Amino acid sequence: MFLKVKLPWNVVVPAENLDAKGPMLQRSIVVRLLDDFARRKATKDLGYFLAVTTLENIGEGRVRENTGEVLFPVVFSGITFKIFRGEVLDGTVHKVLKHGVFLKCGPVENIYLTCSKMPDYRYVQAENPVFLSEKNPKIEKDVVVRVIVIGTKWLEAEREFQALVSLEGDFLGPVSCENPLD
Amino acid sequence: MSGEEEENAAELKIGDEFLKAKCLMNCEVAIILHHKYEQLQQTSDDPMNQVSQVFEKSLQYVKRFSRYKNPDAVRQVREYPSSLWKILSRYQLAEFELCVLGNLCPETVEEAIAMVPSIKTRGRAHDDEAIEKMLNDLSLIKKFE
Repeated sequence: MFLKVKLPWNVVVPAENLDAKGPMLQRSIVVRLLDDFARRKATKDLGYFLAVTTLENIGEGRVRENTGEVLFPVVFSGITFKIFRGEVLDGTVHKVLKHGVFLKCGPVENIYLTCSKMPDYRYVQAENPVFLSEKNPKIEKDVVVRVIVIGTKWLEAEREFQALVSLEGDFLGPVSCENPLD
Repeated sequence: MSGEEEENAAELKIGDEFLKAKCLMNCEVAIILHHKYEQLQQTSDDPMNQVSQVFEKSLQYVKRFSRYKNPDAVRQVREYPSSLWKILSRYQLAEFELCVLGNLCPETVEEAIAMVPSIKTRGRAHDDEAIEKMLNDLSLIKKFE
């Protein structure tokens, strides 16, 4: 789920980027904030950081004694993406393995659907391996699958989320790639 | 697994901070990211190089999973989310619930309950008739696009 969040943040601007003219200073702060934001990638609590939408407030700058950098407490709004346990979502298959498939959904690429959570499906080895079912459309690379999230895990070192998903439930499974509403 | 064992979106247990946080539908995110991307295009020859991987992957995703493929269409439907939000208050849906419905577009009452079980259980006495009506309202908006 995409979320709109309002966050406090400390932006550190190097002394050489300080400029007495207002607009330039604001620009330096924004540039720095965007840099930090992109580098941080994700946090356990808020999920993946997509974009800063508005800078709500810039507080009083404080000079850091050792470096001469100036620290500005700011508040901004932005968009994040987080996966919740129990959430139903659409993902695209990007890897088919013998024991299950990996889906991607937005910025998350490690969404694992194990074959034990794919009732009626069996693995068929081929140049393009595929999971087949008597009743339902096949699951192969680039197929869109509607799944329910049964668990999520935050990997601190990689700053990534992993999720386990399942097809066990009503109205879950491959969804037609053609968008019926177009 | 997740540290908060309690978390379960199906029962709308997703933590207070997220119940309060504003959720965004894919189509809304598409509008915002498109706009950002257009801004970058004006200042850079290679805008894709300027954005983070997270941004790029998310943009691809919302392009595919919201119905608006080109910026013109996106501009035309700017009003669309706001009318969806009216439905939210009319049916006392949590933002999370409305966004799941808006993203997945269930066609029947059974499907809607399977996608968002909490609409049936959260003590708001949504009977099937009310859910049907809610889906109708949602699909009416779609027709205006």
